[in-house]
Parts: sequence; C-alpha cells; structure tokens
Amino acid sequence: MKNFIRKVAFGLSPNEEVPSDPLNWATEQIKNVPELSWKGKIYTEKELRKYYGEYVYGDRKVLRKKYKNDKYRYKIEKDKLRHKTGQKFWSNLELCIRHTEAIESKSPVLAKLWYFWGNHFAISEKDFLARYSTGAYQREAIRSNMNQNFEKMAQEATIAWPMIHHLDNEQNVGPNSEKGIKRRARRKDASINENHARELLELHTVSPNSGYKQEDIVQMAYIMTGWRPKWGKTRLETGDVHFDSQYHQPGKKKVLGKEYNNGKKSLAVAIKDFSNHPSCIEFIAMKLCRYLITDYPTKDMIDPIIKAWKKSDGYLPEIHKAAIEVAFNYSEKFNKFQNPENWLLQMVKMADINLIPSPDHMGLYNLGMKPLKSQRSLENLLKELGHHPYLAQQPNGWSDLSQDWMSPELLIRRLVYAKQAYFKMKPKNQNNEFYEEMIAKNFDKPEEIIKILAKNNNPYHKHVILFNLPEMLKS
Amino acid sequence: MKISRRNFLKGTATTLFLAGFNLPVLANNKTKKNLVVIMLRGGMDGLCAVPVIGDKNFEKRRQDLILEKTIKLNTDFALHPRLKNFHNLWEKNLGAIVHATNIPYTDRSHFDGQNLMESGGHIPYSVKTGWLGRGMKVAKLKGDGLALALPMPLLLRGIESNDNYYPAKKSLPKSDIIDVLRSVYKDKSEHELAEMMEIIYQRSMIKMSSSSSRNNSSLAFKAGQELKKINGPRVAVFEVGGFDTHAAQGGIDGSHSDSLIEMDDIFLNLEKGLGKEMNNTLIVTLTEFGRTVKQNSGLGTEHGYGSAIFMGGGILKKSQVYTDWPGLKKKDLFESRDLNSTIDSRSIYASAMSSVFDIEFKEIQKQVFWGDNLQNLSDKLFKV
Repeated sequence: MKNFIRKVAFGLSPNEEVPSDPLNWATEQIKNVPELSWKGKIYTEKELRKYYGEYVYGDRKVLRKKYKNDKYRYKIEKDKLRHKTGQKFWSNLELCIRHTEAIESKSPVLAKLWYFWGNHFAISEKDFLARYSTGAYQREAIRSNMNQNFEKMAQEATIAWPMIHHLDNEQNVGPNSEKGIKRRARRKDASINENHARELLELHTVSPNSGYKQEDIVQMAYIMTGWRPKWGKTRLETGDVHFDSQYHQPGKKKVLGKEYNNGKKSLAVAIKDFSNHPSCIEFIAMKLCRYLITDYPTKDMIDPIIKAWKKSDGYLPEIHKAAIEVAFNYSEKFNKFQNPENWLLQMVKMADINLIPSPDHMGLYNLGMKPLKSQRSLENLLKELGHHPYLAQQPNGWSDLSQDWMSPELLIRRLVYAKQAYFKMKPKNQNNEFYEEMIAKNFDKPEEIIKILAKNNNPYHKHVILFNLPEMLKS
Repeated sequence: MKISRRNFLKGTATTLFLAGFNLPVLANNKTKKNLVVIMLRGGMDGLCAVPVIGDKNFEKRRQDLILEKTIKLNTDFALHPRLKNFHNLWEKNLGAIVHATNIPYTDRSHFDGQNLMESGGHIPYSVKTGWLGRGMKVAKLKGDGLALALPMPLLLRGIESNDNYYPAKKSLPKSDIIDVLRSVYKDKSEHELAEMMEIIYQRSMIKMSSSSSRNNSSLAFKAGQELKKINGPRVAVFEVGGFDTHAAQGGIDGSHSDSLIEMDDIFLNLEKGLGKEMNNTLIVTLTEFGRTVKQNSGLGTEHGYGSAIFMGGGILKKSQVYTDWPGLKKKDLFESRDLNSTIDSRSIYASAMSSVFDIEFKEIQKQVFWGDNLQNLSDKLFKV
C-alpha cells in the first residue's frame, strides 16, 4: 500500500498522513488539472520564445560579424547576450515550477503522470530549446491537456512551436508546392523533411506495430508540409506556427490505407485517426505500465487500460485512472526502478529537504544578470544525476527501462547526491526518530529497513544507505 | 590458472580504478587489443586540421583563416601546428589520417548528424543503438566498454553492462557506507546492482584527490591505464565539443584550435596511460560533418560535408594521409560549397572493428551496417 504511494507519486512528506484509501487518494488527484502550485511568476512559451529569438538573432546576425577577429571578445559578448535573454535562468525557473507540483501540490500523482507525458511528447536537446522553451511547452501543451482526450494533447503538441522546430518541420517543403517550384527554379533545395512525420507515427501515436511503411511516412510528411513558423527577418524562425499553403504539397495523400484531402485540415484529421488506432492505444497503454509498474508489462496489465481508453474515447483522466488501478493491483508484486529525477523527488519529499529555491528567491533575478548559483541549483543537480528532463538526447525522450539507468557512474551520482541532500535537511530532523517515522510511513516492510539501518548510528550514513536501498531505488 | 573475479579484485584493489565487468577470458596467447573512439561534436573542420598544401582555390576561399607555420606531412598535406602530440605519434609511425571522408549524411544538421555518426544509420533516429555497441555485440564484448561521459552515449548502445567514468563534482560517501550497500544488494539478490556496487566500491577505495578531474586529459590518462590491464575495458569513448565555429574560427589560436588541442591532449594522455600497450591500441576520431571551404562573413565556417579522421596507435600500418582527394575546384565540391567525401567513413570504422575485434570484415559489414556497400580498408590502414 505504501509502496503504491511511491509508485504513482513521490511518497509522503513528514506532515502528510497515510491515506486510509490510497487508491482513492490517487484517483481523486487526476480528475482535474488545478492551477500550478508555484507562487512565483510564470512566463508563457510565447514570451520566452521572444528571448530565444533575441539570442539566436543577436548571435547569428550581429555578434558573429562584429567580433569575427576576436574569439575572446566574442565569447564575452555572447555570454552577455545569454544573460540579457535569461538563457541560464528560464529552465531553472521551469524546474522549480515542475518540482513544486511533486513536492508541494495536492496532486503529486498528476505530477508524476505529467512527467510521463512530457517525456512521451519529448522535446530533446536541440539548439536552445531547453534553455527557453521546453518547460513552458510541457506546461502549456502537455499539462493543461491532461483533463482532455489524448487526441487533443496530440494535436496541440504536434503543432506547438517547440515541437515543429525540434523536428524540423519548418524544413518540410512540398516539392510541388508554390514555394517548392520556385525554389527548384532557383536550383535551391525543395524537398520534404520526414523527421516530424516519422516521429509523429513512431513515437507519439501508432508506433511501428501499426506496420506503416516508408511510403506512409513520405505521405504523412506531405500532409505536414506548410506547418511552420511565420518567418521574420530579425525574428527568424520564432514566429507563431501557422499553416502556409504556399509550402503545402498539393494533391491527395494516403497514410495507413486512408486517403486525406489536400490542405490545412488533413493534419488534424490524421492525428484524430492515429489517436483512435488500436496500435496507438496499445502502445500508450503499454508505455504507461512500463513507466509505473515494470519494464516488461504483461497483457493483463495493459488490457484494462485499453478498455478504459476505448470506453471513454481516449479521455485521459479515465486512462490514468485505469493505469493507477492496475499499478495498485500489481503493487505488491512489481517494483519499478525509478529514474533519477523521480528518485530525487521521492527523497526530497520524504526527508523534507529544502531543495527548490523559493519564489521570492527566484524573483530576485533580473534579465542581464548571471543567475546566482542557488538559483541554478536544480538544473545542476539534475545534470549531475544524469537526468535533466529537458535535455533528453533523442526525440524518444528518456528511457523507461532500468538497464539504461544502471551504470556505475549513474549510481555513484545517487550516492553522492544523497549525501549532499542530507546536509540540506532541517537539523531538527537529523535524528533516528525522524527516520523511523518516515520509514514507517513510506515503506510496506519498515522493520526490515530499520534493521539494516540500525547497524549504523550516524544519521548521515543512515540517510545515504536508506535512499540507495533496493526498496527505495525501486517502488 | 584462471583467476576468479573476486581474487582479482582483492589482489588489485589499490590500483584498480575502473574495473571491467568481465572475467579475464582472453585466451592465453592472444593479445588484448583496444579501440578508442573520440567523438568530435559540432563538425570538425578537416581543412583546418589537415590543410591541403598549395591549392589556390583553398587559399582564395579562406584567405583570413589560412594557418601559418603548419607542419608538413607530405607533398600534399600539412598538419595544424598546434597538434604537436599527434605529430609526435606521426613521427613514430603511430599516427595516420584519412582525409575527405565522412558518414553518408549531407543535410548539415548537428542534431541529425550526431545521431547518425553514432548510430551508423541513414535515417536520423531510426536506429536506437550505436555502431560500436553493435560491433561489440558481434564480438561478444559484453562489459568491455567504457564511456568517459555521462550519460552513456548512443555510440555504445547495443551491448549490455558498459561502464562509465565521469567523476562527480562532489566526493563519494565513505567506503563503509558503500560496503553496507554492497552486502545488502548481495543479500537481496539484486545482481545487477551488486555488480555495479562492486565497481563503485573499488573506486571508493582510491583516494579521490585532485586527480578526479573531468577534463579530457586526465580522463584519457586514466582510461589508458585501464585499457592496458588484461581484464580492463577494451573499448573507450570520449567526447570533445566546441567544433561548431561559425565565428572567429581564427588561425592558429582561433576557436577551432581550442577544440583540436583538446583532442590532441587525449592522444597524448592515452599514450601516457597505455604505455607500451599503445602498440595494441587503435584510436579513431568521429565527427558529424566537416565545414564549408569558404569562410563566412564572421570569419568562421558553416556546416559542410567531408572532413578528416585522426587515427593513432600501434595497430596502424604506418603514418600516412590516406585519401581519394576530390579537389577543391568549385565543380569538385559537394553542392559547390563543401569538401566532398570520397570515402564512407563507416568503411574505416568497420575495418577498425574488424582489425581490433578480430572479426571478419564481412561479418561487421553485415551485422553492424546492414550489408551497406563499404570498403574493407584493413590492409591499407592497419596491421592485419
């Protein structure tokens, strides 16, 4: 029961009671998407994109020319521009917002599922997206759709500016489109870029199990031609995403056996079709089980989620409810190796560690400043743990498989940062009573754990051992 | 006598820094050979590192970036003057270059290019493992990979139990804490965790003083010391960034040189760490693309196509610049702007794996590179 609370959330903090009905406790949290708990200022993706544009333009079109003979001065000026546009600050602010949902909000279960979806529709490390856009994208396109149908989330994630830029759809030009023909007349490249189309099928919706062929991807890329940011001379690629028919490949297209009309509306129709495709439903049901329960979900785990999906027409709160119920039913038998971020948040919550900088502290930041080390602490920590949620290396996001998190260096980092975290605890909590209470509240077999820890008297030793026990690494 | 793993660990605990996962399973009379790959991220400019001598097309297009005091390698090519360590290797027949080569990728995106240089595939993101990991799988080198990086690079994916070493900024907890965890993992039959903790425990026994630096020179020295051990890792992977010099690429002391010097220091420190085992080692570099022949208005260069590969170690046949030089006249350039690639660089990597892992080239070609049309260059580049 208590393991279940760590499985679907982050455990209980010292001032939280063990819920009498954990399943109900969990499912109540996913019905709505409440306001974010972060009390400080929150910026929109569009506001942050403006800074992204200032940085990219300022570097590419101004600084590179101005300091062409002086690499030292160039570096100095580029750093100034970074700070002028908040480059080292935004992602830290976003991590504060993100982690506050896990630690302080009334809906940590929703937070854990939010992280899942942010990683499902991942924006991986490219250009400066993580620095300016990814956090805001995960709030606006992902979290705010967690009480909608899957289809709506897929629609919005697909044409979100960060996603279009991330997967190069701005370079996806219909060879026979108006612009394509002109470009070719000038002997410039005018061809499709399949990247976004492929990932939409492979990673975001139907998965390779649907049996799509290369030609389906090409056809899907044709459907997606024209979806691009409004271009500007100084703002470059940072305008809002719109459908520009001048780049659209004319004619009908056929994907997975279905014909789609020429024009703007086809992308939405295709996403609707994919969202209802059996392979999509099964793929995502499997991924939810893999995230919450085990590396290798069984059919019995996946089926109830598929059923809930079909019954509710893909309504995410119902899908989440089914996934949580399955997690509950398998809670005793299966433990899931927690990725570094989720592991960290469990430790922070259970041991009441002062990790997230306060809204007031973050509010001291002004553009042009280099953020204080204390304002950048979350980002540094996640990088050191090897799991910065905005810096996945590939569009398939961070892995959900334990083998990908099992390397000596990655486990060393957990030892090292468990130790660091201990020294950020409240002094009044650094004693045996506190640990015993915390363990009793958060683990199904507390005696066993207390016995192991009893061999060490030093609370700091206890802390590092506890948070690296198999019971803690897996939940 | 076959040494058991436990005995080995006991016997060498004070010197063991990065233990491999494997039992020493090498046949008695077979030499252990090592392969090191240095990834050069950002697009290494082969024409800056290994400039062509006396080509008017080159001098005209790059008038502000031409290097002075280059080191002449042969009648056609020179070496960047800051690559002193590599030049030392060259002088000892332990350094060679392949020029006008790259992975078959021409779209000039770092993002896609770096994915392909690691996966060895044709379509970005379609392959989820690395060519080196797949090659090791064919050679059954489980537990023999060491990445000097965090997280594990894609390049090594495809085989289990690779080790990585990239020291944390803070020190490890006391070794008695680690010892408790080690025995708990064992008691609870957490085999994978136990295996990891064994390695970590050994590391914790070493005093982590000023030596636990993250810079590539000191990582290279340590990696060299590990690679030379009979049961140490057999494959190591490094990363060097900063090659994306769109501005102020400069001459000898420009920004591109900074990254080249970092690479050069890896060669030096690997050699120092390896000692005479340098003779049984092959070091190769890997980049996503080269850079434009023409300088841009910011006195840098843009993303291009063909680049060069640096190689080091005693497995090399001899010092040479191996190339099928395409020329730098406008008509010879790729899309009229980039040095062309006349050798698919995967031919070099496939040949390297074939020579170091002692696997038939055709086997590598088939199992690692899907039977793609690659040349076996083993006898031209390496001692066979």
